[in-house]
Amino acid sequence: MIKQEESWLDRNTFHHSAFWDLIKLVKEKEKKGLKISLCIPTLNEEKTIGKEVLILRSELMDRYPLVDEFAVIDSGSEDRTLEVASNYGADVYLASEILPEVGNKRGKGENLWKAIHQLKGDIICYVDADISNIHPRFVYGLVAPLIQRDEISYVKAFYDRPLNYSSGLRPSGGGRVTEILIRPLFALFYPELSHIIQPLSGEYAARRDVLEKIPFPIGYGVETSHILDLYALHGLETFAQTDLDRRVHRNQTTNALGKMSFGILQTFFNRLHQQGKLDRMPDLETFYRRFEVEDGNYRQLVQEVVEEERPPMIEIKGYRNRQDAS
Amino acid sequence: MPIEQIDRESLLNPLLEDIPRKIEKIHKIRDFFLTDAVLLGEIPSPTFAEENRIRVVADRFRENGLHNPTIDEFGNASAVLPGSEGQSSILIMAHADCVFSPEIRHEIQVGSDFMTGPGIADNALGLATVISLPRLLEELNIQLKDNLILVANTKSLGRANLEGAHGFLETMSLPAKAGICVEGSTLGRLSYSGLGTLRGEITLQIPSDYDWMRFGAAGAISQLTGLVNHIREIPIPKEPKTKLVLGGLKCGSSYNTSPKQGNLKFEITSEEDEVIGSMESQLNEICEQFSAETGTHVSMEIVAKRKKCSIAFTHPLVKTTRSVMQEAGITPQVDPSTGDLNALILGGLPAVTVGLTTVENLREINETIQLAPLCSGITQLITLIEAIDQGICEE
Repeated sequence: MIKQEESWLDRNTFHHSAFWDLIKLVKEKEKKGLKISLCIPTLNEEKTIGKEVLILRSELMDRYPLVDEFAVIDSGSEDRTLEVASNYGADVYLASEILPEVGNKRGKGENLWKAIHQLKGDIICYVDADISNIHPRFVYGLVAPLIQRDEISYVKAFYDRPLNYSSGLRPSGGGRVTEILIRPLFALFYPELSHIIQPLSGEYAARRDVLEKIPFPIGYGVETSHILDLYALHGLETFAQTDLDRRVHRNQTTNALGKMSFGILQTFFNRLHQQGKLDRMPDLETFYRRFEVEDGNYRQLVQEVVEEERPPMIEIKGYRNRQDAS
Repeated sequence: MPIEQIDRESLLNPLLEDIPRKIEKIHKIRDFFLTDAVLLGEIPSPTFAEENRIRVVADRFRENGLHNPTIDEFGNASAVLPGSEGQSSILIMAHADCVFSPEIRHEIQVGSDFMTGPGIADNALGLATVISLPRLLEELNIQLKDNLILVANTKSLGRANLEGAHGFLETMSLPAKAGICVEGSTLGRLSYSGLGTLRGEITLQIPSDYDWMRFGAAGAISQLTGLVNHIREIPIPKEPKTKLVLGGLKCGSSYNTSPKQGNLKFEITSEEDEVIGSMESQLNEICEQFSAETGTHVSMEIVAKRKKCSIAFTHPLVKTTRSVMQEAGITPQVDPSTGDLNALILGGLPAVTVGLTTVENLREINETIQLAPLCSGITQLITLIEAIDQGICEE
């Protein structure tokens, strides 16, 4: 069964090409008096960090002053990540040296959380460090909806995600953990959130005044918790999402994805518990929701998946008769 | 009007003295042209399919506020930086095509002091530098009297016969007084002459009615090997300097099937066009004789042909280029061109080709440019433009 597009999907889903006019975007930002900070969390990313800093800083600070502050926050890299990032002009910080009085925990979420303290922007944009096809759209595509629409507080990226094998690129869809774990969980417990096409994407931009009010899991659950917490506080209308076309990243092993899923499940069930959904389990949804993109239009496909069950065979009279006869 | 030697020196000396300042300044502001090199290098741009890269170049010309940004009928992107007087123009050209197919992952890795990726040297870096010239001149407080015509030309490599450069020159509305071809590879390169060049492909086919029982019958691989042996018997003169390169051989697709067709790519370069003509005739004769003797079909297709051309070693443009290189700490290495320079010189323009930095693994997928020497390479280009602008390079 194919359902027509939902209105939120129409209103709050963008394509980065809608924001190509960076001069206009910078003017809008300045008119609203907004400051934008860009944060890249790192741990041993010397192969990709140089290009990210070079391109984003040169295009979005130097050529078009959209970004006011650019920081790399590192978890203690043992390679040349910090040297390379610094050479290309990023402000480089060790997460362990930010807010030392709260201690140091090692994980991407720690860097994102401490960025709120370290950076000064009204909008903070987070970009993962392992994007091998980095382009300015990875930033302007995310901050633009926040500049232009005051009611939006949090913008997620989505994209095609070909995996980077030594033999070349292979298509992957929405990401394996997204498709196998998160989308079915959202469809069961938070069907409205199924409108978010790639809830685990590592690129997003948000307003400081929402980021400072939510907790940050240190590990793999940080993106999931952001969505669940902001949804509980502000509803779906606070979110938007932008199609960034294509993101090439390194392939992860199944073991690594298993570990990630374990962390995400912890976060997810914690939220279910906090929101009373485990104690007062609602009727589980039977509609599974996924996405299709056709000719630039995003379409949610809703399919009824009813897991009917048969009783134990021993309870069936015909079976018992046959067994008795044999 | 040509100027006297003593005037040339008095005009050139201040430019040479300014070279250290320029190198230092360019190092401080290098990120914007390095960014363009990466962004352009990651757009596949094989010869005859350069549209996507050219579109970005034209956008950059517009963003940089240049006059008349255009994509012409040959696919070249061009624009003009007007000079303060605009009486004459200088043509700066970089080819936009590269040798890699779109199937190759065009990903540039950026380290502290290097960049690696297919085509970064040849010629994403050259192209990015040409695009960046207006801003470089502005940052260095240089105002030219002449117009600067900036061109990203297509169809330069391989089977293309410099079609982009020829097409641009034939339709160029502003006549230029000199030209510079910009290549990422390699620092010290100084080309002021173009070799006569012939590029061709020989195709050998086993006909469907081939008599496999005849004496010497064999598949296309064996036949092509025999043909290559005949070609290698062509005498190649040492003077005038001449070279025959067998650059590509395609034949067969499996372990156990004798192929019926094969293809051999070759290039002849020489200081004399007559030698090339003679060798072309000999190749034709070899193909005909081989075809008749073996019962195969052998045909030769010429895909690119250009005449030798040169300006004199003593031409003021060449002399000035050498002086600039030496002052920038670059050792000139004379290297006759087979590229776009031929189109410029044959079009009557005094022109040179210069390279920008040191390069490793040229035309391999791990092609690597060194960033440290690059600022000297760009300074050499800008100083040479200034010298042309001031009339120092005219005969």
